[in-house]
Amino acid sequence: MADNKIVEKIKSPLEEKIKISLVVNGQEKELLVNATMRLADILREELQLTGTKVSCEIGRCGACSVIMDGKLVNSCLVRAYQANQKEILTIEGLGMNGLHPIQKAFLEEGGFQCGYCTPGMIIAVKALFDQYANPTKEQILEGLSGNLCRCTGYGGIIRAIQKLTES
Amino acid sequence: MVNFSYSSNLQGSFERPDGVDKVTANLKFLTDLSFPNMLYGKILRSVYPHAKIISISAKNAEELPGVRAVITSKDVPGLNRFGLIFPDQPVLCEDRVRYVGDAVAAVAAETEEIAEKALQLIEVEYEPLPVIDDPEKALLPSAPQLHPDGNILHQASYQKGNVEEAFQTCDFIVEETYELPRQMHAYMETEGGVIVPEKDGRITVYAGTQHGYKDRFQLARILDIPESKIRVVSSPMGGSFGGKDELNIQPYGALLAIKTGCPVKIHQSRRESVRSGLKRHPMKITMKTGASRSGKILAHQVRIIADTGAYATLGPAVLDFAVEHAAGPYIIRNVHVEGVSVYTNNGVAGEFRGFGGNQVTFALEGQMDRLAAKLGICPMELRKRNLRKADDPGPVGQEIAPTDGAAQVLKAISQSLLLNNKEKREESTSQWKKTGIGVAIAMHGGGLGFGRLDPAGGRISLNEEGKIEISFGFEEFGQGLLSVIEQLAIKEIGCSSNDIKITIGDTDCVPSSGSSTASRGTSMVWHALQRMKGPFKKRLLEKASQCTGVPVDQLYLGPSGIWSCESKTEPLITYQQIAYETKDDPIQIETEFHFPTTPHSIPGGHYLYSFAACAARVEVDVLTGIVRVKNLEQSVAAGPVIYPTGYLGQIEGGSVMALGYTLLEEALMEKGKYVTENFDSYLIPTINDIPLSMNITAIEDLYEGDEYGPRGVGEIGTVAVAPAIVKAIYDAIGLWVTKLPVSREEIVKAVNQREMKEWLTTKL
Repeated sequence: MADNKIVEKIKSPLEEKIKISLVVNGQEKELLVNATMRLADILREELQLTGTKVSCEIGRCGACSVIMDGKLVNSCLVRAYQANQKEILTIEGLGMNGLHPIQKAFLEEGGFQCGYCTPGMIIAVKALFDQYANPTKEQILEGLSGNLCRCTGYGGIIRAIQKLTES
Repeated sequence: MVNFSYSSNLQGSFERPDGVDKVTANLKFLTDLSFPNMLYGKILRSVYPHAKIISISAKNAEELPGVRAVITSKDVPGLNRFGLIFPDQPVLCEDRVRYVGDAVAAVAAETEEIAEKALQLIEVEYEPLPVIDDPEKALLPSAPQLHPDGNILHQASYQKGNVEEAFQTCDFIVEETYELPRQMHAYMETEGGVIVPEKDGRITVYAGTQHGYKDRFQLARILDIPESKIRVVSSPMGGSFGGKDELNIQPYGALLAIKTGCPVKIHQSRRESVRSGLKRHPMKITMKTGASRSGKILAHQVRIIADTGAYATLGPAVLDFAVEHAAGPYIIRNVHVEGVSVYTNNGVAGEFRGFGGNQVTFALEGQMDRLAAKLGICPMELRKRNLRKADDPGPVGQEIAPTDGAAQVLKAISQSLLLNNKEKREESTSQWKKTGIGVAIAMHGGGLGFGRLDPAGGRISLNEEGKIEISFGFEEFGQGLLSVIEQLAIKEIGCSSNDIKITIGDTDCVPSSGSSTASRGTSMVWHALQRMKGPFKKRLLEKASQCTGVPVDQLYLGPSGIWSCESKTEPLITYQQIAYETKDDPIQIETEFHFPTTPHSIPGGHYLYSFAACAARVEVDVLTGIVRVKNLEQSVAAGPVIYPTGYLGQIEGGSVMALGYTLLEEALMEKGKYVTENFDSYLIPTINDIPLSMNITAIEDLYEGDEYGPRGVGEIGTVAVAPAIVKAIYDAIGLWVTKLPVSREEIVKAVNQREMKEWLTTKL
């Protein structure tokens, strides 16, 4: 079959690895990984930080959102070489010293149901508040438009943000 | 201050038992698990929507370094089929594939990349066959037969009176054909998990499902091992909405784990999930409805064609549900409903939140609005004139638990902010944007229905640690079942949340409770606790009395233990102490019962119903055809609210999922292949697509004498939304939409054709 002839030409996964160093949730990490390994996989598989989720793998759902050098990124679209020398904040880093106010607000206002989009969503809310102390409606909608939630219909998430803006 | 308006009458906030672990991500989903020596599994699915398999050669794949096993149909020791109602879907196809999700082989390898590469090395020779991509084509005599009994999966009908005669007497008749799309569940966690061979020869299946015991039953049949050798851990899950009810990756993981002796993880990519996963049934529904001048509906004729795709799963039950709900909450003397569910080479359609009710209610409510327009009476008034009364029979003439829900929700929605705020109604942000308001109602049966195995059960015990352990065979996929169990236990037992341990979703530790589907979870937890609380409290109090010498009638269960009428600051005896005293004869109560059903033998006929009414206000951009839902209100009658945050979340979340169904979502197929393969082309609502004003009203009053407690609300919030939005579009621009998702092109075309004039006059 024609399909298989093409397939035979496909090389085995790259064996060559590069050394990267990055700071994850305040801790320095040195890793030997494939240069094209996705940051999402580095977090989940190399560092066992499974809080960062993978759902669409094309940067459309935001389940893998992390903050890299102060910017919100989809970690499924960031490769190892791009994460080198970078500082990463994941959901595990947010609540290290007790629940973060965003996490508390999500808890109190029903900002999640199944919990699968939640780590990415909370990280996106963190990035929103890092950028705007008092975000407007447009800034909220724009800031979270890259994070899909199938359960809540976003009502509880909006209530959580309202609570945060009021306090 | 942020300008959103989200309100409800649902008060009281309780922290979910799984809440902290979810917001901190300490919670491990089953796809987050890993085990020592774990391998990665991948499933090879068909290249063609319909083809003969001439040969499969796995040799090259097997020789690839790092590959530990390749399996094909020959490696299935037991029944090479699965399916919840009857097993007709091959685990691994032998000689024929019937859709692009059909599995032909699977691989376990040391890394996911190697497994992926191995899939590409498996040589499958196909002989393509003609593709049936439309249920109407499947019904043609010349169509190839997809299954031994032909292309009809199931037919269902209901008839009363004589519609033909009744149409002769009608002053007004409306006939329309409605087309409903293939909607994807789009749970954020795709199917996956890990299957682990245990040292004692058993296997543990860590993979999400909505009925762990049913997975165990199906897997035992496939693997040809006793059910007792299988443990299914099925909770928690990152969403399901019906989509993970049927087996998905479990059989492949189990076969590979047994063959290699290693744990095998499979986590489908989104593309694999789209390709293989269930969808909502596309349906084409023709309704002819006639009424007298006075607005009494006299005849209602319905024909439903459902595209069930390649295999059965719960397709027959979905069709039965659609047929049952075709006349909804209206009392019509002459009704004739005929439904047929047809096999095609499209993706498998099956169980999805709303279960056939969404499709048929869209058509039914569309008929009501069209009739009202023809009759020149208010659509709410038309509904009222034909609405069921509390003691009326159910929609297929069956006896049901008396309920006034239909009238309650209609009344509540007529008092809604949206329908009573005239200024808001006319407000429009530009001359090119027209606003309109629509209302629709829905009736929805709970439980699996008459003639279906629908057992429920639960267990409550005082465990060794002195915790009141409550066990159900249900799963938590976000709906808030854990909170429901906790809140009900606190209320019915009298203890505090700290005293409770909840165990669910693990066949080794829980009793059979039936499926976590059909809006039955909350209802069954309530019923189980009503049965168990008396005997459980009695045994605890007797033991406490025995230990303390205080008579039973002066004791009661409270936080941390048993209190006497005189104890003020602490219990007389703690639960731990009682646990110690009863360690040789632990206190444990179990119950088994059946979901309440109608006594009338109507396949799938329901007994308990919930109701909803939805009002929507839309803004239609006549230049682009973009429809935005600006306000949405729902009133829901489903009995007492147990967990207010969860209830609200179900209705809001259901509303937005239904908004997607109405305006955005379609898993488009061309010639049996998916055109939409991921979230770049299959669009679900983002936070930018939702109404910025929502109001949810829960009506808690049950009909006098109703002893069935709270009904589940997992589905009801999704049903009335689409017809309300579509009516609002008509209200705005005078276009009757019959096909979902609403087409922007159709709107622009309609506006252009009428030179943007007619809708201005047709509006009132």
